[in-house]
Amino acid sequence: MTEQNKQLQSMSTSWVTLAAIMVLGGISIYMLWMGFQSYGSENPEYAMYYIFSGTAGFAVIGYMFFRTKAMTTTKPDVPKVDVVTILECPSCNLKRVRNFKRGDYINKDDEPCTRCEGNMVITGIHRRAEPKKS
Amino acid sequence: MKVYKTVASFTVIDMFLDIGQLLQNNSDIGMIIQTLFSLSFIIYLFYAQRIQAMTMLRQIEGTLRKVKNIRDEGRKVSIETVKEIGKPVNDPTPDVDRLIESFIIGPVSLDPAGIVGKLDQLLNVRDDTFLEDVRIIAPQATEVEAHNIENLIEAASALNSYYKAIRHFYLLGKKTMNIYVIMQIHMILPMIIKEIEATSSAIQAFRNGMPIGDGVGALVAAKLMRGHEWRDTAKEMVMAEVPYEGRTLIVVKAKGPGGSVGKPGDAIEKILNEDTEKKVKAVIMIDAAGKLEGEPTGGIAEGIGAAIGGVGVEKYKIEESVKRHEIPMYAIAIKQDISHVIAPMVEELHKATDKALESVKRIVMNRTKEGDWILVAGIGNTMGIAQ
Repeated sequence: MTEQNKQLQSMSTSWVTLAAIMVLGGISIYMLWMGFQSYGSENPEYAMYYIFSGTAGFAVIGYMFFRTKAMTTTKPDVPKVDVVTILECPSCNLKRVRNFKRGDYINKDDEPCTRCEGNMVITGIHRRAEPKKS
Repeated sequence: MKVYKTVASFTVIDMFLDIGQLLQNNSDIGMIIQTLFSLSFIIYLFYAQRIQAMTMLRQIEGTLRKVKNIRDEGRKVSIETVKEIGKPVNDPTPDVDRLIESFIIGPVSLDPAGIVGKLDQLLNVRDDTFLEDVRIIAPQATEVEAHNIENLIEAASALNSYYKAIRHFYLLGKKTMNIYVIMQIHMILPMIIKEIEATSSAIQAFRNGMPIGDGVGALVAAKLMRGHEWRDTAKEMVMAEVPYEGRTLIVVKAKGPGGSVGKPGDAIEKILNEDTEKKVKAVIMIDAAGKLEGEPTGGIAEGIGAAIGGVGVEKYKIEESVKRHEIPMYAIAIKQDISHVIAPMVEELHKATDKALESVKRIVMNRTKEGDWILVAGIGNTMGIAQ
């Protein structure tokens, strides 16, 4: 369950978008750097163009981040769990656990007992206990 | 060692000084960073709410995709199960889709007098027609299998409703970009996700007819009934007379092993009204109850009142008949998380039924005398639990 919650909460943009954002970010920073360099150089009139291009690049990054579609990290599935059936022999009290089969139900007279001549009855059906994390 | 530490601290200090120098206003990088900060501050000043709305929409969109996958899986499994078990001549897909989209219109509550009767009648008609439709689309299914398919399609229908509700708010929010519309769904999203995950767990259980968490009450009753003769009492309800320590327990549960909650209100009403010579001295009800975070799964709590959920029709009938006969009513709740209610029963809940059984026996011993008749009702979906 916790893993599923993580799947739900964790969303990411695709790697193509991320790469595009990074490239654009790099270019934008370079443009801004060029802009400030130009202020102190012989051609200060270019500074505004560079700074405008750099800030526009960051604006586009912001726009891309919010407009690209969110993707879940893995394709979620309907959870499937292991279910076991508990059989008990009313005559000799032999207890057996096996995997659940369709058609099993509690209080059903099931297979013959392997120890005596009685019939085993299904006394429980439940999820297999998950091993405890240390 | 001390020398190395001193050298390392000097290196770190140097590094911070270098970074500090870089961020000076008179350096190019410092100016760039300051411009970026100023820019982002101005943007945030005007567009903060819009950015927040976009972030929330992205989270809702991610959830919507997951819910769509689960919804589609539920529909697919329903169709496959109908084909596999019911062996219909024609493709059952349009009929399954029709059942998934079916709805019930609640009675008007402007004049609430008699509303329970109206609701009861509506639910009866809905249950009967739904089961009849299942029998038509799955002609080869047995009675038990038909009930299980009915439960499965109901789960698929619930998933479809969740999906449509989230999609509605998502599209409306996207269209209007109104943060209050988006917040309505965003705030309750964690709870909805929990409910959707619980419903999606039900698909495996309903497909295979496994006992579910809600069946704990029925399981306690089934344990009491084991080895005793039972008979039908009301619609989809069974009862058995079980002698215990000089008393007689009238044990009631829904008829299994097909998925059904039966009509416990009708059964209790009928027993109390018809078997007047037995003079029932107490009613004990056992049902699953939602646990709060921090409470253990399978915890047992005892109380007073009618332990039964649902829309309230059955509860109303039970309370009415118990009041009429002036019989004390005791409740035993088996605590479980919402994610366990319709998922295959967990081991803790299975073990908890033994503890609940002990509680029933203790109440019987402490609150009644020898020769008394006691009505014990195991409430809940009896899927995978016979009597």
